[in-house]
Amino acid sequence: MSTRYYPLYQKGNPQLRIFLPNFWMKLVKPQFNNPPNIVEFHCSMQMTRLDIKNYLEKIYKIPIIKVNTRIKLGKFRRNELNTVIKDEDIKVAYAHLPRFESFEFPNMFAEQRANKVKDKQTEKEVSEPLKKKIEEHNKYKAGLPLWFQ
Amino acid sequence: MNSYKVNSRLLSRFNSLISQTQRYLSAPAEVEIDESDKKLFESYIKPKVEKIEEDDVKFPPIIDNSEIGKEQRKRQRWFDKIRQLGIVEEKIFELNMPKYYGWKINKIEEGVLPYDPLPQAQYITRTHLANTVNLPKYYDSVLSAEELNSLVEKIKNQVKDALVFEFYYRNRDHEYNSEQLNDKCFMDNVLAKNVSQQINSILISNLCPTNVHLIDTQIDIEPRIEAFWAFGGLEQPEKYKKFNQFCNPRIHRRYPERLNQYMKYIGKPILHLRHNLPLKEIISLKDSEDEKLDIPINKFDLRKMGYFQSRERATIIPGFWPGDYSEFGFLSYHSIGHLKNRPEQFNDNVDAIIAQAIFGSYSWLYTQACYQGFSTFQDPTYPLVNQMILTNGQLWNFCVYQLNTTTMHQDCIQTNPRKNICWVTDSMKLFDRIENGEVKGFNEDVLRNLIKFYANVPQIKEGVNMKPYLEKEKLIANIEDSERRIWLEEQYKHLLSNRPRHKLPPEQYHYQWIYVRKFNHFLPWYRKSPYDKGINVYNRKLDDHTPKYIPRCLRTNRKLKWGKTFYPEIEKKTPKLTKNPIFTLW
Repeated sequence: MSTRYYPLYQKGNPQLRIFLPNFWMKLVKPQFNNPPNIVEFHCSMQMTRLDIKNYLEKIYKIPIIKVNTRIKLGKFRRNELNTVIKDEDIKVAYAHLPRFESFEFPNMFAEQRANKVKDKQTEKEVSEPLKKKIEEHNKYKAGLPLWFQ
Repeated sequence: MNSYKVNSRLLSRFNSLISQTQRYLSAPAEVEIDESDKKLFESYIKPKVEKIEEDDVKFPPIIDNSEIGKEQRKRQRWFDKIRQLGIVEEKIFELNMPKYYGWKINKIEEGVLPYDPLPQAQYITRTHLANTVNLPKYYDSVLSAEELNSLVEKIKNQVKDALVFEFYYRNRDHEYNSEQLNDKCFMDNVLAKNVSQQINSILISNLCPTNVHLIDTQIDIEPRIEAFWAFGGLEQPEKYKKFNQFCNPRIHRRYPERLNQYMKYIGKPILHLRHNLPLKEIISLKDSEDEKLDIPINKFDLRKMGYFQSRERATIIPGFWPGDYSEFGFLSYHSIGHLKNRPEQFNDNVDAIIAQAIFGSYSWLYTQACYQGFSTFQDPTYPLVNQMILTNGQLWNFCVYQLNTTTMHQDCIQTNPRKNICWVTDSMKLFDRIENGEVKGFNEDVLRNLIKFYANVPQIKEGVNMKPYLEKEKLIANIEDSERRIWLEEQYKHLLSNRPRHKLPPEQYHYQWIYVRKFNHFLPWYRKSPYDKGINVYNRKLDDHTPKYIPRCLRTNRKLKWGKTFYPEIEKKTPKLTKNPIFTLW
């Protein structure tokens, strides 16, 4: 269901519009060390516990025992103009699966992180001999301005 | 080897001394040396010490002087104080002393169990679940088979009549309103209460001639039962975890991994039977230290499982005040009507009943042990046993529980080998249905188990000091000093009434938290509240208050402006006169 209205057709408008529903849920990495059968979500502020349960059961066919929700306070901080402002609140939902099932949040960027580490190593391998050369060159020129080097 | 540069000029000063010592060492007997020199040498050279046998030597204990060690000794001093206090009420009073506004406790209420409560319940109370579905073997020897059968046939018809009356003939329309009559959970509790009272009276009246001990039992209807204990096996709270992560270890002390969490149980039993003697133990204390008795580990914070926290006093009540003659549990009836309120998808009613049995019987036995002078910080020296019945009138569960330990605080959770043990039967149906005033499918095994419970005779524990940690006085009522007795009695009853303080703790409003504390918008003289000074309000001690003011007309001595206080102390000091007492007042 969407609360946006469908505008009157006028020339040049697209023939079909698709409005996505107001309800959304985001699977997140758990903030605290939770039991393995609890899955953590961020969801839209209008959703109730029953909505969340129906959303997961009807669309994704996940068996759900119960749902707890809480509203996480947004952060207070100073913006660029040095005034105190507050970020938006977030609704956090904890969905309980049956007790013998478990869910682990996937480590999605493992390869990319490994590649980053590799890149850094290769950079070092290239740059270190150059650095050594420069150091040796400047060994007896301590305090000499760059222009003379 | 390390080589050192020697200052030759300095060395030359000692040349004569060195040469002399070398001579003395190489041939001490032959060379003649002056006595004045001898003393000098002896101060340099170690004298030969005679070897002493190891048994004679008594070294002082090596004290751990690290921050953690100091904290632990501080805690140990408090435990020792509780042990040395000689009066039951004072021990419970002392548990309340560190907190003026009460402890922050995890609240466990009977009939309000979360999803999948069993592993947590076992871990918190340190209980092992026996594998058997039946009662322990000890109950086979309580009565012979012939006696049992004759008793069953004698009682059977009376029980049937009671069941028919409660389930079929009794009209409850005028007793409760329509909302209550339609509430399945409420009506189950009502039936459980009525049926168990009827069956209790039938069994006692029929068994009394053969079992004399039943004459001495006392019956409590819906007694008040509350228990408070410390548990150190849970994970570090998130607040402390975050602090440890970001604190500067040079300035701040890190929190230890294990911290005490405080549990409070509030029970609603239907019936209690008590006796002046304890029941016979089923397993000895040494057997309870066996490593084969396993306990599931569930270290998660109780709030993650579905319990709630609140700030309350440490109350310990087993349904009667200290000083009662019959102070050991014999039997307890509990209702399982709350299962009707459990959602269908939970599908864990069997576990919920066992968890209810574990919490209920552990906390009743633990509170009884507290009245014998033990506490969460001192283990009982002998086991205590309880028999428990969980019912809704039709379904019957029988549970036997043996209490071996009560200590599970942060210092001893890993070293304590003892475990409590629980035996639970499967739920049995007393009857299938009732039609036209007749009971159909009556199950006699339920009656047999019931009779076995009632025929279990409490016995004297020979050669056991029942109250090793109590003095001769034992109770407040036996104190001779009337002023102290009256003050302690009033304060103790007030503490256990669980009322909040007359003046609520100072509050920090949200605007203060944002603009005063976080972003410092206010000038320093606005920062007056204890929160701005960095004081934790809830760490205020119980005796941190002005004593009672005595008006001038009531004073015996003109200078005695403030009334006396008698907070529990090991050395009974005479209270000092203070002209201007300084206390934290905000």
